Amino acid sequence: MNKLILASAALIFFAGCASNQWQTKIEAFPAMYDDRQPITIVVVPAINKTTAASASNYFNVTITEPVANQGYYPIPVEIVRDIFLKEGIVDSQMIKGMPTSIFNKNFGADAVLFVTIQKWDTSYAVIAANVSVGMEYVLISTTTNEILWKYSATIVVDTSAQSSGFILADIISTAITTATTDYVPIAKNVNAQAFIALPHGKYSKQHRTDMDENVVYKVLKDAAVD
Amino acid sequence: MNKFLLAFFTVSALLITGCTTTNANTGYYWGNYSGTLYSLKTSPGKNSLDKHIEELQSIIDYSNKKGIRVPPGVHAELGYRLAQTNRNSDAKAELNKEIITYPESRPFIERVTIFLGLEGIYE
Repeated sequence: MNKLILASAALIFFAGCASNQWQTKIEAFPAMYDDRQPITIVVVPAINKTTAASASNYFNVTITEPVANQGYYPIPVEIVRDIFLKEGIVDSQMIKGMPTSIFNKNFGADAVLFVTIQKWDTSYAVIAANVSVGMEYVLISTTTNEILWKYSATIVVDTSAQSSGFILADIISTAITTATTDYVPIAKNVNAQAFIALPHGKYSKQHRTDMDENVVYKVLKDAAVD
Repeated sequence: MNKFLLAFFTVSALLITGCTTTNANTGYYWGNYSGTLYSLKTSPGKNSLDKHIEELQSIIDYSNKKGIRVPPGVHAELGYRLAQTNRNSDAKAELNKEIITYPESRPFIERVTIFLGLEGIYE
């Protein structure tokens, strides 16, 4: 059994090392290194494809900071949401069907960031539990409608309790730990993982110095679907 | 070293220091922005709104004290929240500060001003 695990791990490791699995930022996202790179970005409230209704909140309150810290001007999500609600647009899925030029007209935005929460699972196996969170990000130009950047990120957090030696206590303890897991840091971590592959914007010290960073994992880029 | 592990540890290390420091790329200070916003969204009401307004003001005060630029959208959001508590002339002042700090925000601020019905307010 152990030998099988070692062999599989070795295969994955070597496959990961192959140079054609990775791209530099400029190879993967050339539009972000010319005048198509946006400054103002409208972040649309998350499209939640999971059964965890609260997942959207965790995303919506944690996305503004990393977009700004990467050097862009993000328009506050909550304000966008309220303005859309008043227009009868309650669903980010509805927004996806609209021409992106609307965002340029209404908010002066150069690009729109759509985020889809694909996974927000709590899985139990009696006394072991973990939380899996997966998100996909797609950045679209409001002038040319092209995809400027896209990426996906997933993390798995182990929320199992420390064993007390008493099975019943462990079961309850794991359930409590998982239920009260603070999801805000988890959401922050997923955003941060994805943004490793995001070219730096105008306000960042690293603007236009990061093009040759070989950090774009093709599988993650291709997984983000428009 | 496996690239994923390296990325994960780098990201985790950065996140741990998050709350009290300024961002390395941009110099922005965010304080507990996502914390008070999360409370506002999940337990809406006067209390959580006041706390979030306080946090936005504290981010602005700290930034001014340290001579760093206020992060994108903070003046705008403070203006928006103040308008929600009917402090309209203070709200207008904050919205204007957003345009001064980030000129590209002008179309957005004009949109929000109309949305809030603040066109006729002079600070």
